[in-house]
Amino acid sequence: MRFVSALFLSAAMGAALLMSMAGVSKAGGADVFKSKGCAACHYTDGPAKEKTIADQLAKKGPELWYAGSKFRPEWLGAWLADPKPIRPYKYNSLTEKNAGGHPKLSGGDAGQVKDFLMGLTVKGVAAAPPMKDIKKIKGKKIKGKLTFTKKQPCSGCHLYPARKKVTGGFTGPSLVNAVARLNPNWIQAYMENSKAFKPVKDMPNFAGILSKADIRNVTKFIMSFKPKAK
Amino acid sequence: MITMKKLILASFAAVVLSFGAAKAEETETLYKFYCAQCHGFDGNGDGPNVSQDFPVTPRNFNKGDVMGKLSDADLVNVIKEGGPSVSKSPMMPPWGKTLTDAEIAGLVKKLRVLCKCKGPS
Ligand code: HEC
Ligand code: HEC
Ligand code: HEC
Repeated sequence: MRFVSALFLSAAMGAALLMSMAGVSKAGGADVFKSKGCAACHYTDGPAKEKTIADQLAKKGPELWYAGSKFRPEWLGAWLADPKPIRPYKYNSLTEKNAGGHPKLSGGDAGQVKDFLMGLTVKGVAAAPPMKDIKKIKGKKIKGKLTFTKKQPCSGCHLYPARKKVTGGFTGPSLVNAVARLNPNWIQAYMENSKAFKPVKDMPNFAGILSKADIRNVTKFIMSFKPKAK
Repeated sequence: MITMKKLILASFAAVVLSFGAAKAEETETLYKFYCAQCHGFDGNGDGPNVSQDFPVTPRNFNKGDVMGKLSDADLVNVIKEGGPSVSKSPMMPPWGKTLTDAEIAGLVKKLRVLCKCKGPS
């Protein structure tokens, strides 16, 4: 009996130790996330909760439970300290423009929350490749260009930087800054299985319409975007 | 006699269409969420995505003359498979992996109400 409880105790201590080793800043970031009221608009525990259009429309901000797989850390830290509009329309609205004004975090808090959010990863999505490799991608000859601009309606809902100007539709998040913002491995995963990340959205599912290779090419095209001031 | 036959046929078609189609209220929600972004809330083809840069004007669902040329099967087909499946613009997305058959049947019914038209028989 005493042996069992001793074993239990040391296991619990081990777990506590492991948790504290996981990094002070992560735990600190989770606290800042709560205390700044971020959880009122964003949920951070997966899997996806929304089942109906009403569920989706009730959300006040995008889900963040896979933020660590979706975003590039440098972008996330900088954006939290100085947020700029991403979606041309207000979140979940097709009539009101996005006026900006997302809550800002001070430098220290932004760093802690970034670490917390970057810890929220999903299995099967590798971290983003180094930026210098992405900068080498040239858009001109990529097959995915045709998919994005001509064969599929991507440009009907997403802004992107064409050769001469920013063009495209407005109801999806702008992809103008996608290179700095998004992990291409996440784009691939999202396009292959978008229901796992966003079960209810006004973007069509392309799994079963575009092959894995098509998706790889279209992702590569998105990674060739050279952000222009907009 | 003929009118009687037509009447029976018409009501038969209505029964077939309403069977397995989503409820009107659900269809309104679907339309506003998925279709209005391009076709507009009133179906005029002037949704929030449609700027000067938009390559083709999304179909105006209130135009009975154009919509009347498309059968219900044509409508189901283009909604499922997207524009290119009927030699139309790829800016009309494929919704077959997103919407169920019942939801699409409901949307077809709504488009018929907007155009005040039937397809060719
Ligand atoms: C009142 C609701 C609200 C609160 C509170 C809020 N957010 Fe947001 N958040 C949003 C909306 C809406 C967007 C989308 C902004 C855009 O597209 O420009 C967003 C976007 C984000 C994004 C980018 C996600 C993406 O997919 O584009 C991150 C990261 C984020 N918020 C973190 C936070 C943090 C951290 C806090 C707390 C300091 C916070 N938010 C507080 C509503 C909120
Ligand atoms: C009918 C409009 C529409 C079409 C067509 C469309 N999208 Fe989207 N897309 C959206 C919307 C809306 C979202 C955001 C969904 C959400 O967060 O609820 C989105 C999200 C995305 C995202 C994630 C962006 C982010 O910041 O979260 C990527 C990447 C993307 N789309 C790529 C594509 C590609 C590639 C295509 C063409 C194969 C495409 N989209 C076609 C509307 C569209
Ligand atoms: C990204 C924008 C976009 C979205 C979202 C969209 N459509 Fe379309 N749709 C178009 C365009 C553009 C055309 C015109 C194509 C052409 O004339 O070549 C079209 C044409 C059509 C047509 C006429 C096809 C024909 O043969 O003339 C139907 C029916 C239709 N759409 C139904 C729908 C329904 C139902 C939805 C919602 C589930 C929807 N569309 C969502 C852009 C869109």
